[in-house]
Amino acid sequence: MTPDRANTPPGDDRVVPVYAFTRGRTRSAGRDLPLEAVVTAAKANTRQGALLQSESLAIVTMCSRPLSLAEIGAALRVPVGVARVLVGDLVNAGYLVAHLPQHTTHAGGPTQAILGRLLDGLRAR
Amino acid sequence: MGSAHADLYPSRPPPPQPEIIPLKILVAGGFGVGKTTFVGSVSEITPLTTEEVMTSESVGVDDTTAVPDKTTTTVAMDFGRITVDEQLILYLFGTPGQHRFWFMWDELARGAVGAVVLVDLRRIDDCFAAVDYFESRRIPFVVGVNGFPGTVVFANDTVRDALALPTDCPLVRMDAREPRSCLDTLIALVEHALGRSTAA
Repeated sequence: MTPDRANTPPGDDRVVPVYAFTRGRTRSAGRDLPLEAVVTAAKANTRQGALLQSESLAIVTMCSRPLSLAEIGAALRVPVGVARVLVGDLVNAGYLVAHLPQHTTHAGGPTQAILGRLLDGLRAR
Repeated sequence: MGSAHADLYPSRPPPPQPEIIPLKILVAGGFGVGKTTFVGSVSEITPLTTEEVMTSESVGVDDTTAVPDKTTTTVAMDFGRITVDEQLILYLFGTPGQHRFWFMWDELARGAVGAVVLVDLRRIDDCFAAVDYFESRRIPFVVGVNGFPGTVVFANDTVRDALALPTDCPLVRMDAREPRSCLDTLIALVEHALGRSTAA
C-alpha cells in the first residue's frame, strides 16, 4: 500500500515564505481562477517580460504551451493559492490569456457537446 | 478606446489563440485505495502534487450544528493530465482521502465531468463517504473496484448492495496499475455523464 502524499507538500524546503512572491496578498486583483484553468502566453507582450519579477517571468515563459494553474503551482513548488495570485495578475496585465472551464448553466458540468468530444477523444486513445 | 489600452498593444492586436477548454475528473476513494496509481497510469505527465486551500462556510449537514465559522484547510492532491485533442485538456485530481476533508470538496467538484470512486473490497467502508458525497450532489460517478491481489471475489450485485449504489451508477472491475483499464474506467464515466446530460 502506498500512502497518500498528504504529508509531503511541495516546496517545504523553501527558505523564503512563499507568499513573499505575492507581497503578502492571497487574492489577485483579477478574478479567482479554478485549479484547472489553463493559461497561455499572450504573444503580443513577450518583449515586456524583462520588467517582471523572476517568478512571474518563469510563468510567462513556461506558458508558451498551455498549462493549468495546478501545473504552474507544482512547477514553481508553491501552493496553488500563490500561483493563483501571480497568474491572476499576469492575466490582468495582458501577459497571459486565461482559458476557463465552460459549464452548463444548470448542473454545473460540461455541455453535452463537450462531453461527446471528450468521449470520442478517450475512445480514440 | 482609451489611449492607455492602445499603448499596451501598439502595433496590432494579438493573434487569435486557439480556444482551450479545460476539463476535470476527480479520482476519489479511501486512503491507499490506488488513487495515485490510477492518476499515474493514465496521465501523460508524471503525476504532480498541488496544494489547495479549501474553504467551507459551514458543514451544512445538520442545521442544529451549523456554525457560521469559516474553516480552511490546506490539502495536497496528486493530479495528472490527458491532452484529448487540440482544444480539450482533461485533468485528473486524486482527491484527499481523509474523511475530515469531505465537506470541503464543493470547490473542487464544481464543474467536474464527474468522479471515479475507487473501492478496495477488503475495506469497502472507506468509500461510503465518497459515494454519499457524489450521489447527494448529483455529480456523475462510477465505482471502480480495484482488483487487489488476494481479494475475495464478490458478485457485482453484492457489491452494489453493500454500497447502496443507484441502479444507473456503473460498476467497473479494474486494475489501477493498468493504463488501459483506467482509460476504460474514464470512458465508462464519460458515457454515464453524457447519458445523464441527455436524459436531463
